[in-house]
Amino acid sequence: MSEKKLGEHIITVDNVSKTFTGGIQAVKNFSTKIRRSEVLVIMGPSGSGKSTLLRCLNGLEEPDSGTIIIDGIPLDDDKRHRLEIRKEVGMVFQQFNLFPHLTALENVNLAQIRVRKKSKKEATEMSMDMLTKVGIAEKAHCYPAQLSGGQQQRVAIARALAMMPKVMLFDEPTSALDPEMINEVLDVMKNLAREGMTMVVVTHEMGFAREVSDWVIFMDDGQIVETGTVEHFFKNPREERTKLFLSQIL
Amino acid sequence: MLKQKVRFKLLDLILIIFCIGIVYFIFYRINVQLEYRSNWAAIPRYLLRKDPSTGKLIPNYLLLGLFTTIRLSVWSTLLGLVVGVIMGIFRTTKILFLRLVGRIYVEFIRNLPPLVLIFLFYYFASGQILPLLGVEEFIRTRSASAQAILAFFFAEKALFTQFVSGVITIGLFEGAFITEVVRSGIESIERGQREAAYSLGLSWLDQMRFIIMPQAIKRILPPLGNEFISTVKRSSIVSAISIQELTFQGRQLATSTLWVFEVWITVALMYLMLTLILSFAVSAMEKRLRISD
Ligand SMILES: Nc1ncnc2c1ncn2[C@@H]1O[C@H](COP(=O)(O)OP(=O)(O)OP(=O)(O)O)[C@@H](O)[C@H]1O
Ligand SMILES: [Mg+2]
Repeated sequence: MSEKKLGEHIITVDNVSKTFTGGIQAVKNFSTKIRRSEVLVIMGPSGSGKSTLLRCLNGLEEPDSGTIIIDGIPLDDDKRHRLEIRKEVGMVFQQFNLFPHLTALENVNLAQIRVRKKSKKEATEMSMDMLTKVGIAEKAHCYPAQLSGGQQQRVAIARALAMMPKVMLFDEPTSALDPEMINEVLDVMKNLAREGMTMVVVTHEMGFAREVSDWVIFMDDGQIVETGTVEHFFKNPREERTKLFLSQIL
Repeated sequence: MLKQKVRFKLLDLILIIFCIGIVYFIFYRINVQLEYRSNWAAIPRYLLRKDPSTGKLIPNYLLLGLFTTIRLSVWSTLLGLVVGVIMGIFRTTKILFLRLVGRIYVEFIRNLPPLVLIFLFYYFASGQILPLLGVEEFIRTRSASAQAILAFFFAEKALFTQFVSGVITIGLFEGAFITEVVRSGIESIERGQREAAYSLGLSWLDQMRFIIMPQAIKRILPPLGNEFISTVKRSSIVSAISIQELTFQGRQLATSTLWVFEVWITVALMYLMLTLILSFAVSAMEKRLRISD
């Protein structure tokens, strides 16, 4: 494994539950702690609550109970806290969610200018750095519709990174991609992990998990079933549910 | 879009002959059975007349009515647009009270007969709102040149209050339809757009301004264009409150001259001219929007 130093806990999730209107309890009494620079991979069958949990971490979903603290800031009703957390937590979606009416560069610029209050020049400089980092600087002036899925997802990553987040959340970032584009996105994410970014990644890409994850949570039915390193999951998963799931995806 | 060649078939010919037949039959009935003496030659002078002092041609009766219809439509469309955009946004917010306000507004207007609404608004607007705003006072104290400008863009002094009531009435009426257009436009934007904007820390206002509205407007414009056309048509209803727009003028003229058919056909053609121009403009715009996609 990598020799990077793990810091203190940056994300604390304590006893979080989320029930949707309609009665589906997507997350049940979920608790975990994540250290700075850690890469956590979350796996689990469809409908197990992975997305819901991730979305709770940046306030996109409102938990019914429990507490979430990110870098010392509680995610509570205080609007300033929520804004601070939205700024510090970057999110990458399965469907990219680029803004189709803006170019790649404008996509990356917008929040820097409006939220970080940078000048357009400063923002553009940062954006070009980030687009270079994800290897797509030459497409800066293209609209999303002119980009392939893999390119769009890399722009989306650059957009989140340009806000200098302390934590990055990824919700199945490669599962909407054609197979030949998956690696270009995973490579960007691996680099990010090696640079010490704190990452929570919902994915079933075992190669990625093996290479850069520090540990893995397997969840089902809104709860943690089993946690451990990737090696643990490969060699001797404890729970039947985990074994069944792994046999399906491997 | 698939382009279909227009080909003339036998069926088309039969249909055209059939239509001509019907039109001929109607005119035959009018002329022979009603012994109606048509007098088309008299119509132009109700469009334009010679000014007795200067000898220049100036708009008369019907054309004046058309102008009022245009003024009425323009202002009430603008008012409807403002109200509709605000109410449309209200209807999509998270705040229950605002959603309720938008909902009540739309339901109230859509579920009453327009004529009843017109009278209701009219007496409320002219009796309550306008005196409160001091409109009449405002007009009376303007200089002659200012009044002339107001007359050009709105209505002359004597009819000003009525005109403004009419604008408010049609504007609020149109606003309800525009509200729904705006609402469905905003709701048609994928949820992920707002979520991405939210995750980046953009405020609600910035989300609307930079992400939602720029995309929604493209989808809103074509149905909005159709609402503008409807405004022209619906504006005829305020003839019921004696605003001297095209329909009102037509009725006056028809009753005083008894050239019922000539007058109403002319009026119909004038409306058609207006709405057809608008609908060509709308489809041209739609085409351009489609290209830019
Ligand atoms: N907005 C919502 N309203 C109602 N129910 C929801 C909503 N979002 C998710 N759910 C339900 O909550 C449960 C967990 O959903 P979630 O999307 O978190 O699962 P997931 O693990 O991400 O699944 P997948 O692998 O398919 O993405 C599911 O049963 C889902 O149907
Ligand atoms: Mg999911």
